[in-house]
Amino acid sequence: MNHGQQSGEAKHEDDAALTEFLASLMDYTPTIPDDLVEHYLAKSGFQCPDVRLIRLVAVATQKFVADVASDALQHCRARPAPVVKDKKQQKDKRLVLTMEDLSKALREVNNSSSLSSCF
Amino acid sequence: MSNGVGEGGRAQSREKRKLFQANDFAYAIARMAVAQICESVEVNVYQESQTTREGLRFSSFQESTLDKLASVAVEYVQSIGKTAQLYANVAGRVEGNSLDVVKALEDLGSGVGFAGVSDTDRCLADSSVVKDVIRYTGEAEEMPFVYALPRFPVNKEKRLAPSFYEVGVDPPDEHIPVWLPAFPGTKSCNLSEEANAVAIEGEVQHSFNGGGRSEVLQSPNDVRKSTEEVEGNPFLTAPLRFVKKEVSPLFRPLELSIKHFPDKHISNHRRIPVLESSTPSDDINKENGLAESEDGEKKDGARPQQTLLRFKIGTLKRPSCLAIKRSVQEQGWFQEGGDKREKKLGTERIDLGTVDSE
Repeated sequence: MNHGQQSGEAKHEDDAALTEFLASLMDYTPTIPDDLVEHYLAKSGFQCPDVRLIRLVAVATQKFVADVASDALQHCRARPAPVVKDKKQQKDKRLVLTMEDLSKALREVNNSSSLSSCF
Repeated sequence: MSNGVGEGGRAQSREKRKLFQANDFAYAIARMAVAQICESVEVNVYQESQTTREGLRFSSFQESTLDKLASVAVEYVQSIGKTAQLYANVAGRVEGNSLDVVKALEDLGSGVGFAGVSDTDRCLADSSVVKDVIRYTGEAEEMPFVYALPRFPVNKEKRLAPSFYEVGVDPPDEHIPVWLPAFPGTKSCNLSEEANAVAIEGEVQHSFNGGGRSEVLQSPNDVRKSTEEVEGNPFLTAPLRFVKKEVSPLFRPLELSIKHFPDKHISNHRRIPVLESSTPSDDINKENGLAESEDGEKKDGARPQQTLLRFKIGTLKRPSCLAIKRSVQEQGWFQEGGDKREKKLGTERIDLGTVDSE
């Protein structure tokens, strides 16, 4: 009984945390514009007048893209450098997002069934 | 057979391309947003053990890679939308709430995995996916989109058809509840519009029948009153007939000015357009031998008929050109000997031409 009460309180706290986060999203501007996310959500059939939910999706998408990009960056960095001609070039190692790194990064997310169609 | 398959595949790819090209604007914005996110990604944020503190960033992108990543991001958003809508519909709701979105995020993140995914009896609000997102918002710098966007063509407020109750009309049959949307024909505002139109029509008839000048002057006030009563709809204000009535007093001074002439002239020249009004008055002057009239400047009266046409189509430019030509001729610029005579003839011809045209 006691344990049940405790878990209930914990759940209440979690719920409060989620609500608080959603409220804090009102002040947070994601990089992906709200209108864009709303447009694509509406295209997929999801109707929602709440800006906070749209921003939640926007932030989640931003995190997803950032994760994939950082993975690709790791791959890019870990790749053996091409033959260096100058010493200057070695210092100015320009990182370019290539298809090779991106496909490696996306392969890690590939297990997700609903997204596999576009990879 | 193989051809068919190949065509099918090609058609599918074309369809997919069309899907992205159909709303090029949104896709272009998605590309830019993704590029901006990629630009902001640093390695040292995720790897603290780096020897160099300065973060490594992407300096450029392959075009196709950016396209692919943008399409993946768009697909991600749409999958979230689809899955959240699915969960909302399964729960018997039309609109999704935050928990549906969280569930959708969990579903999409299940490929990579997250903490507590095996726990079946967990609270959705406690989901580690949400925690990850919260952590991400804390770590990553807040970076709004670089450009201010115009309004998207999104139907934000889908206005449902008004019900019988909102329209304020009783449904035609008893078995139809009031909360159902009204039939297309039944509009309460239509009735008021028709009533107003009838009232205005009546006023028009009244003013036409009266015919007096005082009636005509009163009618605009009436119109104003009626429009005040209509309140709002600007399309219900004064119809064109009233405008015509308002204009008619403007001709009166003209008629009054001719009034002291004999009646036959008035009857002849009553409906004179404004532009031609000068010549008839000249004619009148000539016929009556009245040297002084209100048009004092046309006293000479011997002006030919063309003057009227000149008044109509003559522009300011032509006389000035002629003046310039004459001055040039007088000063003898660019002219020597016989050339000069020819030019003179030419200018004379031009003068004649202009007079003819006039």
